[in-house]
Amino acid sequence: MTTDELHPRPSEPQGIELPAPSSSPFTCAFGVTLIAAGLVTQWIVTIIGAMIMLIGAIGWFKEVHPDDREETIPFEEGPAAITARNQKVLRLMQGTRHRQRVPAEIHPYSAGLWGGIIAGIVMAVVATIGSLIEHGSLWYACNLLSATILIGVESQTAEQLAQFNSTSLIVAITIQVVMSIFIGLIYGAVLPMIPRFQLLFAAAFVPLLWTGLTWATISVINPTLQANIDWLWFIGAQITFGLVAGWWIIHTEKIDTMQNWSYLERTGMESPGIPSQGGEES
Amino acid sequence: MTILEKPKQTLHTKDPNASFLSYMHQWIATSDHKKLGVMYVTTGLLFFLIGGLEAAMMRWQLAWSGMDVVGPEEFNRLFTMHGTTMVFLVGMPILLGVANYLVPLMIGARDLAFPRLNAFGFWLFFFGGLLLYFSYFGAQGLYGMGSAPDVGWFAYAPLTERTFSRGHSTDYWILGIGISGFGSIATGINLITTILTMRCPGMSLMKMPLFVWLMFIDAILIMIAMPPLTAAQIMLLFDRWLGAHFFDTQGGGSAVLWQNLFWFFGHPEVYILILPAFAYVSEIIPVFSRKVIFGYPLMVAATIAIGFISLGVWVHHMFALGLSPMVNAIFMGSTMLIAVPTGIKMFNWIATLYGGRIRFQTPMLFSLGFLTQFLLGGLTGIMLAVVPFDWQVSDSYFVVGHFHYVLFGGLVFSIFAAIYYWMPKVTGRMLSETLGKWHFWLLFIGFNLTFGPMHVSGMLGMPRRIYTYHPDRGWELWNLLSSIGVLFQIAAILFFTYNVLNSLFKGKKAGDDPWDAWTLEWETTSPPPEYNFPEIPTVHSRRPLWDKKHPEDPDWKYE
Repeated sequence: MTTDELHPRPSEPQGIELPAPSSSPFTCAFGVTLIAAGLVTQWIVTIIGAMIMLIGAIGWFKEVHPDDREETIPFEEGPAAITARNQKVLRLMQGTRHRQRVPAEIHPYSAGLWGGIIAGIVMAVVATIGSLIEHGSLWYACNLLSATILIGVESQTAEQLAQFNSTSLIVAITIQVVMSIFIGLIYGAVLPMIPRFQLLFAAAFVPLLWTGLTWATISVINPTLQANIDWLWFIGAQITFGLVAGWWIIHTEKIDTMQNWSYLERTGMESPGIPSQGGEES
Repeated sequence: MTILEKPKQTLHTKDPNASFLSYMHQWIATSDHKKLGVMYVTTGLLFFLIGGLEAAMMRWQLAWSGMDVVGPEEFNRLFTMHGTTMVFLVGMPILLGVANYLVPLMIGARDLAFPRLNAFGFWLFFFGGLLLYFSYFGAQGLYGMGSAPDVGWFAYAPLTERTFSRGHSTDYWILGIGISGFGSIATGINLITTILTMRCPGMSLMKMPLFVWLMFIDAILIMIAMPPLTAAQIMLLFDRWLGAHFFDTQGGGSAVLWQNLFWFFGHPEVYILILPAFAYVSEIIPVFSRKVIFGYPLMVAATIAIGFISLGVWVHHMFALGLSPMVNAIFMGSTMLIAVPTGIKMFNWIATLYGGRIRFQTPMLFSLGFLTQFLLGGLTGIMLAVVPFDWQVSDSYFVVGHFHYVLFGGLVFSIFAAIYYWMPKVTGRMLSETLGKWHFWLLFIGFNLTFGPMHVSGMLGMPRRIYTYHPDRGWELWNLLSSIGVLFQIAAILFFTYNVLNSLFKGKKAGDDPWDAWTLEWETTSPPPEYNFPEIPTVHSRRPLWDKKHPEDPDWKYE
């Protein structure tokens, strides 16, 4: 008699136990559906459905009582060994300029403010020259701009739009000032983040994008207004604004941002040996 | 205990000794989560074809003014069945099917917690869908003809009352959807229990894959949102058959009550459908960017926040109803609020892409399609959250364009991403990359061509659900473009169908881990054995397979 026969080793598991297949859920669900279907067809369908559901429910109960009916699934061929396809792991290094465009220097807010105001004035001049050439009037463009707020102005005839109107003038100046300052400030904030061709961005890309958006949507929003706009002069005025505002801002002296400061400087701590803002050692 | 000696059997091969009946019996009697997952997805895709055909019929009818392809009654049935099918018989089963298949594999479990309940849930959905479509033959319409439901997918009261909806078509809608709804609740219970109790050793909640987190929140939403719909449907049955007056405005009932109950289900339902889309791309984008997901804890927090806030935005579907300004303002605020966690997700996916070594394979293309289109759908959603704007375009084609950008551009694109990504695991065969790219680009063009112009026709005042229109409205060009887009989509679906069928028999062998991925489902064979893993794995990080591939640089050092 061998040792193994005297002390048999516990057998290796031949497989893994899982719940055995069962048609009871199918039967039960079919019965439930027939019960419902009988409500809209014939009552006998409901009766048959109830019986089928009962058969399914009893079958289901027997499968889980007193213990779950299970089957043993024999082991299959295992998965392949896990290996890395590429052992080299690259890491994003801190402090490198990996695709980052954090402006270390920016233009002061005043650059955007003044750039916007000056560009707004030049733009108004260009638009007025356009009205003078196209309609023989100083007020056409001004009246049209006020029509974005004033109800009914947009439906006036070209002759009426060429007339002076004090309300329109006040509204148009207000719109022009507010929008010019707003866009100027945005230019001041955005231009330092553009890596190259800042003037092209300011004088061509943004004005053309804005003109395209306006042209595409104004026919839906205000078709009467659209019919009165001279689009060539519109584009010319937009480009003028972008050119002047962009040129002004780009040529303004830049100031450092907090990105250049040390952590201690940013937290506002003061101690000997730490340079204060501006580089002087305190 | 019975021990069965079974030869290895995969999804695309069948035992040559088994008869067809015994092969079918294996599927009908199965409680294996993977087979049920495949059955869910396959059935969902079949319903997708049916729902797509219904949409194509509608687009044909609307391609030009005064077309006579279908009459007004049939058109009503078409948009009702299209909407109902796509939400309840396509979106729901596919999301439940994918979760069924993947959740146990991703958490290192052998099956769901209640395998037989899982089978019961699937069959309820399946028979519920059949019952709904049986209405074409069984429901007695006004003139005694067979008639499908025609009350719209949200079945507004009092149109659904017996006075206005004769015959049984509305009853079929109630019963079919109700039965399917019970199936969804069963699967929701199963998913929650499985995720909470059956995770493998080492997998704490914050080490679960994002997919599992999203499906967990999704299942909770199913549990909260489905019962009000079922309750409302039972109340409607009482109205129709037993003379109750819950929604009967002439009998003292309230049509607004139906809208509240329906949309208390209906808006979380949108998130029930879109959270799985988030789940798929949250797995695919990191793998195809070769980077770990950016901001995992914040992604989890955003998921929970979306789940929570989504329960409090339903009134934005009712802005045009005439509720008080205070109510409208509150729900406008909550609707805008949900853009915050959704935006967090969007930024985190972009941050994951940022600086990554991106592989533009088909799953990634569909994921990127999802990102762009879902973003557009989200932005128009914010526009619609503004009450005055909503008043202008309510029930117009603008709304149709918006929700298709969310549910088609978002959900359906992510479903295709998931199919291309996980099908090699399911069948052991790769889908063709070339055909996949054809599929993507045709669908991308077709989708945008169909649904982009709808925003314009909606802004021009075209109401939804009209079966034709006069030629002088300026809508013809936009409708024609929309209809031409459908042709591209049909071509795309043909490419996809051929690709799937071809790969089942002739596809390249996938191997266990064709994408060099990191979650547990890629650790086992393709297709996985019935028991999933020979031994239950132990994990130490959110990317267990990465740890095994890179023992010198495991993730748990950094998490």
